[in-house]
Amino acid sequence: MDELLGEFIAETRETLEPLASEIVAWEIAPDDRAKLDSIFRFVHTVKGSCGFLDLPRLERLSHAAEGALAEVREGARRPDKRLVTGVLLIIDRIGELVEALAAGLPYPEGDDETLILALEPRDDKEEEAVPAAAAAALPAATPRAPARSIRLPVELLDRMMAGVSDMVLARNELSRRLRERAGDGNVDTAFERLSTCVAEMREAITRTRMQRIDGLFSALPRMVRDLSTELDKQVVLVIDGGDVELDREMIEMIRDPLTHIVRNAIDHGIEIPADRQRSAKPAAGTLRVDARQSGNQILIEVADDGRGIDDERLVQKAIGAAIVTRERAAAMTRAERLELIFAAGLSTADQVTAISGRGVGMDVVRANVERIGGTVEIDTQLGRGCRLTLRVPMTLTIIPALTFSVGTELFAIPRGAIDEIVRASGGSVVVERVGCALVARIRGERVPVVELDKLLGVPSHVDPARQILVVVRASSGERYALSVDSVQDHEELVVKPAAPAIMATGVYAGTTLPDNGRPMLLINPAGVAQIAGVKAPDAAIPAKSDVVAVEVETVPTLLFRACDGATRAIRLGLVERIEDVASGAVANIGGRLRLSHDGRILPLFGCEAVVPDKYDRVRVLLLGDGETEIAYAIGEVIDIHALSPDCLPSAEPGPIAGVMLVDDLQVELVDCFWLFAQAGGSSRSTERPLCLLDSDDPWMRDVLRPIVEQAGYRVGYSGDANDPDAAVMILSADRPSADARSSAPVIRLRSVADESVGPAGSIYRYDRRGLIAALAAAQGGR
Amino acid sequence: MEQLKLIARIADQQIAISADLVESVVEIEAITPVPLAAAHIAGLAALRSRVLTIIDTYAALELGRSPRDGQLQAIVVTIDHHLYGLLVDEVVDVAAFAGEPEPLHAGLSRGWAHAAMGIVEHEGQALLQLDPARIVAGPMAVAA
Repeated sequence: MDELLGEFIAETRETLEPLASEIVAWEIAPDDRAKLDSIFRFVHTVKGSCGFLDLPRLERLSHAAEGALAEVREGARRPDKRLVTGVLLIIDRIGELVEALAAGLPYPEGDDETLILALEPRDDKEEEAVPAAAAAALPAATPRAPARSIRLPVELLDRMMAGVSDMVLARNELSRRLRERAGDGNVDTAFERLSTCVAEMREAITRTRMQRIDGLFSALPRMVRDLSTELDKQVVLVIDGGDVELDREMIEMIRDPLTHIVRNAIDHGIEIPADRQRSAKPAAGTLRVDARQSGNQILIEVADDGRGIDDERLVQKAIGAAIVTRERAAAMTRAERLELIFAAGLSTADQVTAISGRGVGMDVVRANVERIGGTVEIDTQLGRGCRLTLRVPMTLTIIPALTFSVGTELFAIPRGAIDEIVRASGGSVVVERVGCALVARIRGERVPVVELDKLLGVPSHVDPARQILVVVRASSGERYALSVDSVQDHEELVVKPAAPAIMATGVYAGTTLPDNGRPMLLINPAGVAQIAGVKAPDAAIPAKSDVVAVEVETVPTLLFRACDGATRAIRLGLVERIEDVASGAVANIGGRLRLSHDGRILPLFGCEAVVPDKYDRVRVLLLGDGETEIAYAIGEVIDIHALSPDCLPSAEPGPIAGVMLVDDLQVELVDCFWLFAQAGGSSRSTERPLCLLDSDDPWMRDVLRPIVEQAGYRVGYSGDANDPDAAVMILSADRPSADARSSAPVIRLRSVADESVGPAGSIYRYDRRGLIAALAAAQGGR
Repeated sequence: MEQLKLIARIADQQIAISADLVESVVEIEAITPVPLAAAHIAGLAALRSRVLTIIDTYAALELGRSPRDGQLQAIVVTIDHHLYGLLVDEVVDVAAFAGEPEPLHAGLSRGWAHAAMGIVEHEGQALLQLDPARIVAGPMAVAA
């Protein structure tokens, strides 16, 4: 508010000065229309500003003068001497009050009513009396506070800025020359002093371009009030950080995006009081607008405690609007889903409202912010609210950049676009040529390489293997690696737009003059991507792409040589153990290989028949999904890689999910889903084979039963029903044979370890392995 | 009405450019090339804290390529708020000319014809007056 007031005072003073002569001229020739108009304009302006600034006294005065002058302009009244005097007195009084305001003094005493009444048309008789009285009421001399601010054309400031930049360059040149010749202490000291002065000057001039963000925020209370009244909502606006300073041009650039975000928050975010109370929130919503400085960026946060954004609904809308495909939507992370709010042509509102449904979407907001080198982030919790964060650089013209060389030439690239910098021959980097294109694999992630030397036709001076890859993410979503000869420096550069013929190439964002005084070109990452033919896989979602997904979603994958010699891959997360088992533990049961292992019978995949090694063992992967366990026979383990989750899917469902490329080798990816489905299908309880136990033997009922069940059988008792479906029967060695009705094989358990004591083929009852093997074999016999 | 014009030499031709349009004449030391830009964009050079876009006038006039050896002279002009330096072989003189350039009806190659505004006379010698904006636009504009 102070700033607005200061502006009002400066403006009023400024107009009052030339007006003084106009007033005198008008007094002489009250019929001069041009003079009348300029006086009318003055009081009209003052009235308008006073209403806005809440200065009722000034407003009343200017209103009275405006009214009288309007009558004159309409011809309803003649500008007689009384009126002229009255107007003049009022203008004088306005001047006094403004001076008092400027000096921060209390308003001078004085009866404004008298002045106002003096304007009323009256009989001529009283003509002299009133103005004289009014004039008498004027204090003789109000001390005029010296003006503390002046108005300057921005152009002049720009010229000063350019002058200072020249000075900095001259200083640098001088510095170089001084370094070349041997140091003279006195000269060096003087030069240091000069340098300090130049630096201070530069900072001061830069500050002239800065403005408090207050100016931007001051319009918000009114807007929030109007909007909430219109929408029958209650909104409490909390503003913080108005003293943060920002380049004045920047302030203009973020005015519209900020307005739009605030409108959205009230229109779509904050609920009507009834709804809020139903969800146990205070009836009045809170809208928090907050600015703060963070490094050379300004953060502006707009947070509401409204209903938040339903990312599910957002995705549905995006699918409906053909912005994303259903498949892509299913693979999106929550953050990616929320990013959809910035996609063109998407609005979360069910109905287009007068408030925010004006064809300006969040896509425009993002585009506007990105144009000035800023970013917009969104964070929301359904039912809890939504927070949008704008990040903008403090000034338009100075950007942090990385400078690098290609051949003899130097270029710069905005640092914000750089993800990482790696050596082309570094340990985790492999550059391969695929067709005629280069692709770098950086920690398992594939990134297209743009050879800047070839693209620009500047011969490189460095062996390709020694080049440096600058991994870049363009604002349009492409991610690629620029191959450059060497990285020079991080610098803050003053960037100016280049001539149209240079911009027309598309690869440059502007020119800059670094301290060495040799112009440099700033590379435009998005333009290079376009010219080099690097594409963002999904243009609808600017910030994310499939390429990015590759980066974040590598899956640890086990490569192994299968029993048939092929190289296959399996997701490491499912592999519980790798074990060598005796080949005898594997049996072909029910048309499928099964492995008896640790007291369980597991379906065994991976081979048609077991190929044991020379020690008569088979190497298996034990896979688990938490419920089911299966075994997968392999030849040998090759390696563990971090690989993309994507693979080329196979045509039909089966044990192989698809093919993926690992180190230029085609590798089949094992479809664990299919395997578990197969395994799960055969282990449902109704389909489990029945094992009959001797019901008269409590040891069997209490001790043996869990083991048998674990081995994949269901348990019945020979005593109560001789189920003819029984797959196997377990009897003590000393029990008589089961009756003839059952054809099931019988496993006999003996109670002593010595095999010679019991009947032939019997198993010691604590020989768990033997028992499990027998159970597996029995099942195979059916 | 007398008008000041700058007389310079390009490819053994004396040419005139209205002095109103000329900001200064500078010696260019180093030119930063601009890869991928049109042929008549010789590159960038610094003029104090400002960046000049250097125009290869030979290329703009479709005469080949401006010589790039030694000290180069450039005529500095501002077109559409951008600063350009037109490479010339030599700046000869600044002189007052009377009258408007007269149209020349024949005999010019395409490049010259594109940039020429007409013929002016100086000390009994006929000079082509060139329009810097058309030189800056380059030969592509002819094709367009």
